Amino acid sequence: MSTIVIGLSMGMLLFLLAAGLTLIFGMLRVINFAHGSLYMLGAYLSFQIVNVTGNFWIGLAIAPIIAAVIGALMERIALRPVYDRDHVYQLLLTFGFILVLDEAVRIFWGLEYKQMYPPELLSGAIEMFGSSVPSYRLFIIGFGVAVSAALFFMLDRSRYGMIIRAASGDPEMVRTLGINVSLVRTGVFSFGAGLAALGGAAAAPLFPIELGMGFNIIIDSFIVVIIGGLGNIRGAVMAALLIGMTRALGYSYAPSWVDFLTFILLIGTLILRPEGLFSRKGRTA
Amino acid sequence: MNAQRLLAFLVAIIISAPLLLPDGQGVGLVNAILIWSIFAIGFDLVFGVAGMLSFGHAAFFGVGAYTLSLLTMRMGWDFIPSLGAAGVVGGAVALVFSYFAIRVSGLFFALLTLALSQLIYIMAGTKLRMLTGGVDGIAGVPRPDLFGIDFYDDGNYYFFLLAVFILALLISGLIRISPLGQALRAIKSNEVRAEQIGFNVQRLQRSVFTISGIYAGVAGGLLASLIFYVGPQMLHWSTSGDVVIMVLLGGMGTLFGPILGVAIFEIMREWLSTQTSHWYGILGLIFIVCTIGMPKGIAGLIMQLWDRITPGGKS
Repeated sequence: MSTIVIGLSMGMLLFLLAAGLTLIFGMLRVINFAHGSLYMLGAYLSFQIVNVTGNFWIGLAIAPIIAAVIGALMERIALRPVYDRDHVYQLLLTFGFILVLDEAVRIFWGLEYKQMYPPELLSGAIEMFGSSVPSYRLFIIGFGVAVSAALFFMLDRSRYGMIIRAASGDPEMVRTLGINVSLVRTGVFSFGAGLAALGGAAAAPLFPIELGMGFNIIIDSFIVVIIGGLGNIRGAVMAALLIGMTRALGYSYAPSWVDFLTFILLIGTLILRPEGLFSRKGRTA
Repeated sequence: MNAQRLLAFLVAIIISAPLLLPDGQGVGLVNAILIWSIFAIGFDLVFGVAGMLSFGHAAFFGVGAYTLSLLTMRMGWDFIPSLGAAGVVGGAVALVFSYFAIRVSGLFFALLTLALSQLIYIMAGTKLRMLTGGVDGIAGVPRPDLFGIDFYDDGNYYFFLLAVFILALLISGLIRISPLGQALRAIKSNEVRAEQIGFNVQRLQRSVFTISGIYAGVAGGLLASLIFYVGPQMLHWSTSGDVVIMVLLGGMGTLFGPILGVAIFEIMREWLSTQTSHWYGILGLIFIVCTIGMPKGIAGLIMQLWDRITPGGKS
């Protein structure tokens, strides 16, 4: 039982990152290498805010907002001038962001591990089906479900979601309709950055907060978005749960093979279905 | 004299610095520049000429370093055949990568090469610990033993590295002007058209990726012998990132640009790291500014300036 809970909670965290990655890719056609760094930044910011205010919930609320502002600045200052160029340049820019963000974290918080605890309310464990499950993990699952539900509602039902979907499909047409597509791009990038930091802030009490945490999770997130199909947010949900469960099962039964399992999933996907395991059948040509 | 010659002249000055400066000053720095240049020249064949952004070259670099170290230290091989083997193994790993990675293009190619190289990094740290020494790496990697020259002296080792470097530069120059180089440029500018003309795109891409892997393997082996050590850090993705920065900084797609990029990177590493411990972040800022402002790198900038100073005589 606890394996399932761990798997689901990991899947939810991965989904928060993958959703941002996939949204940004759909809108900007760029894969944000720095997404893991934003996740890490979220964890450090939340740690700092909790240290100052003593309240976990403030950290969880404020850290993503700060990251979203940073994300908006990144898009505005650096990415916007190079949209006309080959996509490789945008990828390279986001790679440059990793170096700068990691250095910023090193300057502010140093090299030591930081440790954070779940809030009082969620620090216990709950008996479920004969095994005890940390309630914070359950909270992450519930939180993840709530955030993804809100996300899907926003994308499918709201006016903003409609604009984002339309602008991903045909930015020129949307611009002709009088919508400021540049602003939408900034918004989506900023929103994705916020989601990554939200994931980081939520994950902060679960793992040691350290400089390498961004890169560890970004590879998994890449795997999730590729398996789910780039730009496909529904696929990302399934893929995130798949990878989360694979990791959790792997850790409890064959810890030294976990990384191989995920990579085999990735390589298998790329060979058999490069468009993603969960993409809907559809012909583009 | 045209801009191309000017670049060649600059490179010549940098790499012959130990001969020009009194008492062979800067030889340690130039040795590192020579080795990383071999890596960067090979990387640019894939990145600059064929237009494929790989984030997995650390794998070939690191595997070459481990190959040379293990063959010389455990198997008792001589240095030169071990260096050859480092290149062969680097190329072989690149060939295996290419079978997976060339199925996809563009951003996917970058991601897949990154993931594959990270797999090798993880393997070296865990599964292959018996062979690689895990996170501790292997210390005591030897240098060549030839003609009774003491290559443990950096001043002497410089000449050995210079010879390998010039060979690498010549081969790369030949590839660039060969039909293979032209075909690769055709693929870069329009893959579909190149395929329609009748080029076997995938085979050409695989070939150049493998050649690039050989370059990386040789460079990795040489670096291990320069610093007498090999560790998993050489396989880490940040090594792939470093070579991307070097090539882009210097000027992708040019013969001499990557070498200038390496020189600036290494000089900054040497100088800035004595000034501040945050040099890597500063490097990141410079990298971002260069990517936005001068996508053709320093080589592009120099050529532009040269054309402006010499009106009429456009190179």
